[in-house]
Amino acid sequence: MKETLLELKNISVHYGGVHALDGVNVSLDEGEIVALMGPNGAGKSTVLKAIFGLAPINSGRVLWHQQSINPVAHEVVRLGVSFVPQGRRVFTRLTVEENLEVGGFIIKNKPELNRRIREVMQIFTVLERKRKYKSGTLSGGEQQMLALARGLMTDPKVLLLDEPSLGLAPKIVKEVFQKIKEINERHKTAIMVVEHNIKSLLEIVDRAYILDKGKVITYGEPQALLKTDILEKVFLGKFE
Amino acid sequence: MDLIMQFIINSLIAGATYTLVTLGFNLVYGATKFVNMFHGVLAAVGGYTVFFFTQTIGIDLWVSIIVGIIGAGLVGFLADRFIFSTLRIKKASNLVMFIASLGAFIVLQAVLAMVFTSQFQSIVHSVDSPRVYEIGSAAITHIQLLIIITALFSSFGLVLLLRFTMFGKAVKAISDDEEVAKIIGIDTNKIIGYVFFIGSAIAGIAGILIGFDTGIQPTMGLAILLEGATASIIGGIGNLYGGIAGSFLLGFVENFGIWKIPSEWKGAITFSVLIIFLIFRPQGIFKK
Ligand SMILES: Nc1ncnc2c1ncn2[C@@H]1O[C@H](COP(=O)(O)OP(=O)(O)OP(=O)(O)O)[C@@H](O)[C@H]1O
Ligand SMILES: [Mg+2]
Repeated sequence: MKETLLELKNISVHYGGVHALDGVNVSLDEGEIVALMGPNGAGKSTVLKAIFGLAPINSGRVLWHQQSINPVAHEVVRLGVSFVPQGRRVFTRLTVEENLEVGGFIIKNKPELNRRIREVMQIFTVLERKRKYKSGTLSGGEQQMLALARGLMTDPKVLLLDEPSLGLAPKIVKEVFQKIKEINERHKTAIMVVEHNIKSLLEIVDRAYILDKGKVITYGEPQALLKTDILEKVFLGKFE
Repeated sequence: MDLIMQFIINSLIAGATYTLVTLGFNLVYGATKFVNMFHGVLAAVGGYTVFFFTQTIGIDLWVSIIVGIIGAGLVGFLADRFIFSTLRIKKASNLVMFIASLGAFIVLQAVLAMVFTSQFQSIVHSVDSPRVYEIGSAAITHIQLLIIITALFSSFGLVLLLRFTMFGKAVKAISDDEEVAKIIGIDTNKIIGYVFFIGSAIAGIAGILIGFDTGIQPTMGLAILLEGATASIIGGIGNLYGGIAGSFLLGFVENFGIWKIPSEWKGAITFSVLIIFLIFRPQGIFKK
């Protein structure tokens, strides 16, 4: 039996009258890749934000190793959880290398920090060549790689990815998913990845949750989900 | 010819003074994105702290200066802890932050006036006139030279701090994207607190030097702030290099301006330059 690393129990997030999440239960076990899928505004990003204390939790609990935590954004990373938010959001005023350095902000040992930079640059070789470039000058795909690499600086046990494929060409999307799988296999990193409706993502995940209007509609293994027409229904807005 | 030399020297002194104000102003703006009016009164805090410790208590001048610098830094830091960070957590708009900082400025200025009267005073009442260096027939006092040197060192120091330390990179990261800065483990509130301390301490240095050069008055902060803010906007607000460039540009335009125009129009020159920039190059010299 694998240990559950992260769990959201009955989480509700309300923005004024908007119920971004309504009693959501989601969990992530050791070493697995889990997808959160659903249409725009389903609440996918809010799930990840809630884990980092960046969304106002009205009720419910966040559990880390079965222990209830009160997440504070700058402290969650110290537990071993990394978050790569939606829209890349690299630090454009900093160079590629400096982005990685601040990505390892919590590493206080300088040689260790440099070792991590070398390691993640080996995974993302394109960054090696552009290490001295201001990250604002990178292409969209390169910036996504940098955002991923920055998230890996702390050698996390859990990686939260919000729409890593956003705005990327199909070929690059495949490459990004490949990297995600690679990270998971090599380092046993548990990954929770948010996407809209990309069937190819289901090829690399162990389980998937389908969200709509702030609720988990269904979840299960990808093969089981693919056999039903639930995905089509949700994304065409035909699900009631 | 000698007149030109004197104008150049005066321009450099003015540019250096404004630089000392813009450094902290831009540093705080970069990290928080709000126009901090409170910054001006910190110059007065620096000046009056030195005045109080040397004149009223009678402590050694150098010790008083250090207390003055740290005092200004602390007042800025505490203003952030009690006012600005509280507002930030409540997600107050930049306009609200601006008004709050203006309010805090006025309150503290009034307190200074109540305690020290609103009279113009000099920090040191030394009988001998200040040391003067002559360059041809142009002159610069010891203090004025010190203003230029201090501006130079402060600029260098701050640029090095931001470029080469993890603290500096964290400040830039916060300036780029505060939420992501938090996600990677930066306690942004703490770093912004340090930013306020450093920026305010430099404003304190400016106030102390101005105090030695011309004297102090509770209302001195407003004039200093307006010049500094104008220089920052001209240079490109939030950009340290821009602030320095804007400071010297403003210093030169003002001082060469009053060559032909009576000096009481200096303020008009300052704001004409500001308006010209706002119309034709609102992003400033150094585009961000
Ligand atoms: N800061 C906020 N203030 C108010 N409402 C918000 C805020 N953030 C999110 N919401 C609302 O919460 C709901 C869920 O948003 P969320 O960003 O989690 O959706 P999502 O599934 O990630 O969508 P997308 O695929 O477009 O990224 C939406 O209705 C959104 O408008
Ligand atoms: Mg989203």
